[in-house]
Amino acid sequence: MASSNVSGQAYAFMAMTPVMPGNEQPLAEYLRGLRGRGPSPLAKLPRTHLARFVIVPDFHHDPTWKQPKEDHLDLNYLIFTSNFDGGLDSYLDELCEQLAPEAKEIWGRCVGCPESARGAALKAYLKHNQIDTGMFFAAYGHATVGMVKKALREREQTIAFAIRAQGMDPETLQQAFLAEFGGAK
Amino acid sequence: MASPAARMDLGDIQGDILRAYGNDYDCTTYAFVTIECPPEQARAWFSGLLDHVTTAAPWSAGEKPLTTLNVSVTAAGLRALGVSDKVVDSFSREFREGMSSRAALLGDVGPSDPRSWDPGLGTGDAHVLLTINAQQTPDHQRALGKMRDAMDEAGGIRIVFQEDTELLPGSREHFGYADGFAQPAIEGSSDDKARGGGVPLKDGGWRPLAPGEFILGYPDEDTRVDPKRRLPNAPAAPLARSGTYMVWRKLYQDVALWRRVIRDAAKVYEGGDEHALSAKVVGRWANGAPLVKHPDEAPADFDPRTPGGNDFRYDKDIDGMRCPLGSHIRRSNPRDALGFEGHLSFRHRMIRRGMPYGTELPEGATADDGTDRGLVFVSFQGSISRQFEGVQVQWLNAGNIFGLGHDKDFLLGDPHGTGKMTIQGRPPFFLAPQEVFVRTRGGEYLFVPGMTALAALADGTAG
Repeated sequence: MASSNVSGQAYAFMAMTPVMPGNEQPLAEYLRGLRGRGPSPLAKLPRTHLARFVIVPDFHHDPTWKQPKEDHLDLNYLIFTSNFDGGLDSYLDELCEQLAPEAKEIWGRCVGCPESARGAALKAYLKHNQIDTGMFFAAYGHATVGMVKKALREREQTIAFAIRAQGMDPETLQQAFLAEFGGAK
Repeated sequence: MASPAARMDLGDIQGDILRAYGNDYDCTTYAFVTIECPPEQARAWFSGLLDHVTTAAPWSAGEKPLTTLNVSVTAAGLRALGVSDKVVDSFSREFREGMSSRAALLGDVGPSDPRSWDPGLGTGDAHVLLTINAQQTPDHQRALGKMRDAMDEAGGIRIVFQEDTELLPGSREHFGYADGFAQPAIEGSSDDKARGGGVPLKDGGWRPLAPGEFILGYPDEDTRVDPKRRLPNAPAAPLARSGTYMVWRKLYQDVALWRRVIRDAAKVYEGGDEHALSAKVVGRWANGAPLVKHPDEAPADFDPRTPGGNDFRYDKDIDGMRCPLGSHIRRSNPRDALGFEGHLSFRHRMIRRGMPYGTELPEGATADDGTDRGLVFVSFQGSISRQFEGVQVQWLNAGNIFGLGHDKDFLLGDPHGTGKMTIQGRPPFFLAPQEVFVRTRGGEYLFVPGMTALAALADGTAG
């Protein structure tokens, strides 16, 4: 495992898996369909800062670039990336367990995926197809998801208070401040 | 090397793009037309328009026409006129997808969702836009009458949406602000407006922008630095040359809400009043005087059209104490405020030619009267995604680049109700997000062909 995958306490994982011929359309439709069906299944992994599925159907060829020759992929590729807190092994353990129903519909449509598409076999498959990160920019490399969410809540609370407090006389302001934040550590 | 001015074929470019027709034209009608007949029949009607289309060629004294006509087309309109898929595919992606398909990207959600748009807009039915300017109402009615007669005669052509607009006194928009005078300076066309309208240079000077930023077939800012001098991406010949992309948006303005919010917030705005507070939101006083040059009060005799009236930059106001970092004009044209000698902002300029619509809410009224009023926003640019969408998405609907987190432009509202506006000061003042002041009532992405291209569309030789 390359240390370029790590920034502070955060890890950047990427797996690239070829899509089985004939499964391109069903996979794309399944992934698109996830949007309208409530929270993302990736929300079942609370250590996740940012994760996404991307389908690469082919290289892009633009006639105005005047490339000497065209290159084409033989198969579609599925890319899964995730930036998360903590170590890779424990994260993949969680993913392979929590996302078992979805994994069958997603990686189950990729070349070489184990029949079960879950547990240790899926974990091994994902690690086998891992591509190391070249450069990992983590905006908050030392802040966990929990810390970021708490900070956002406190920011909204502070903004709301600052707006409300405008025009208050000093005594009222002090009382209001203590009432709002007095219990905060 | 011959200047671009010598090479710009003004007779081939439609009018009101490089230079505004001017305030002599009080009324503008925007008529979106749908084609429900075969392409050959549609092209016969289209040919009939061409003799009346006004170009960018300058008028001699006394020759100013009573009315002007300009023509633009949507992607659906190109197909309805019989243009092949291959040629339509050579237009930009966002143009082909259309504005309503890109609603999520543009922030047209909630009250601005395309599902609530005025009928006829954003549905794919709008094919051709006829823009008619007139100096006075009788000429306007005559021109509209002729337009309708021509459609009736052709058969299978009808108007799906029409908006009649009229200038407000003092060239203001409905929130009371002088509008439309700050335009990009274009090399070979409006070099005289470079001070304030062009690219700010390190030595304090200014230079105009390359014409290809606005008119296709001409060198743009990339061409300047490209050893091969390639021209910008453009549709297949003969349609690209002298053409431009157009953004048309009908923006409803809730004037009563705006007045109430400013009135209530001003009560606790220390040392300020409603005029000062609303100037902080906009970045200018109502008469157009920029806050960065006149932070304390509006000069009574300020005329934004006088040379140098728009000549200012933000280098002496980095902390936003004069003009807030998130104010509307600072967001929509940051000038030198993003550093790097203006390089992050100079590719995102737009020519704007919009018009207010609807009658004014009486001065002082703070209750809504149910009248549909607002602004028809019109812009011209070489790239819709880089220029219009870039500004809308990255500068108005987001605050990251200005160090403002997810605060959005307060003037245009925030349908998600998050963020705020900070008015920098000692102490700073905060405005809470509101229900939106401005709602999108409809819009289209269009292409404005040059005269040769119009002729090719009309005789079916566009490919």
